[in-house]
Amino acid sequence: MYRTLRVCSSRGGFEAIPDPPRELDLTVVRARLEAADVPVVDARVLLIARLESEVTISRTGRLLFKTADSALADRTFARLRPLLEGGGASPDGAARGR
Amino acid sequence: MARGVMLMSGGIDSPVAMHYLLRQGHELLAVHMDNRPFTDDSPLEKVVDHLALLRERYQQAIPLYVVPHGSTQITLMRETDRHVGCVMCRRFMWRSAERIAEREGATFLVTGEALGQVASQTLSNMRTATASVHLPIVRPLIGLDKQEIEAVAKSLGTYEISTRPGVCCQAVPPKPATRSNLVQILQEEERIDVEQIIDDCVRKAVLL
Repeated sequence: MYRTLRVCSSRGGFEAIPDPPRELDLTVVRARLEAADVPVVDARVLLIARLESEVTISRTGRLLFKTADSALADRTFARLRPLLEGGGASPDGAARGR
Repeated sequence: MARGVMLMSGGIDSPVAMHYLLRQGHELLAVHMDNRPFTDDSPLEKVVDHLALLRERYQQAIPLYVVPHGSTQITLMRETDRHVGCVMCRRFMWRSAERIAEREGATFLVTGEALGQVASQTLSNMRTATASVHLPIVRPLIGLDKQEIEAVAKSLGTYEISTRPGVCCQAVPPKPATRSNLVQILQEEERIDVEQIIDDCVRKAVLL
């Protein structure tokens, strides 16, 4: 679902876009995050998850990692991705294609 | 000279607008609406740095009120039509600024708005947004274009601060309304407790 992590347009963070495009069921995602003890703010049309870096999760599937630290964004992405895709353990590989 | 309250976002326009009024000798207080967690820390850091430059230049204290606005955004996103979210957000910013102005004995509000630059800055949206307050609103940049504003910002030294990396507001809808009408906005506001929200925000405001 997600292949790349890239610097966002305002250069203040990193973003990931689902490929192919896919909408997220934020109710399901919120439940998975909470089950994994991840603090989450639910603004209905988006979630804000407090992982190692704060991440905005849009209904469109776009993720925005609020950090300028690429290694931190990578680690956060690796932890978050299985929670979005419904898998169990975090993948060991970092994001590719930056 | 009169005392006013200036809304400061961390962007390019607001320090330029403030500069014009300080140059005329007005006394200003700054209000920053803190949009976290829909942004990162950068807007507040930029405002602090803008004010440091302008305080030095004009030898004026310029107090800064930081008003929490993230919880308001959450309420708006959960309870109201997201299409008009920018106008609704703006109405709450104005109300908070007006409350602080009343508390501080200020008689006008100031903004860096210039016509047509972003979705909230159409005439229709400005009128709808500012219908939420009673104090007069001064817009020193209203007829300037982006290049003119940027040139002044560069001469002041604020441009480099404004253009540092930062996370844009994540609460902005994909297609914000560029035309709004007050009747619809008032209907949307009936779904939420406007006075309670403003009371909470202003009570939690921090003076830096």
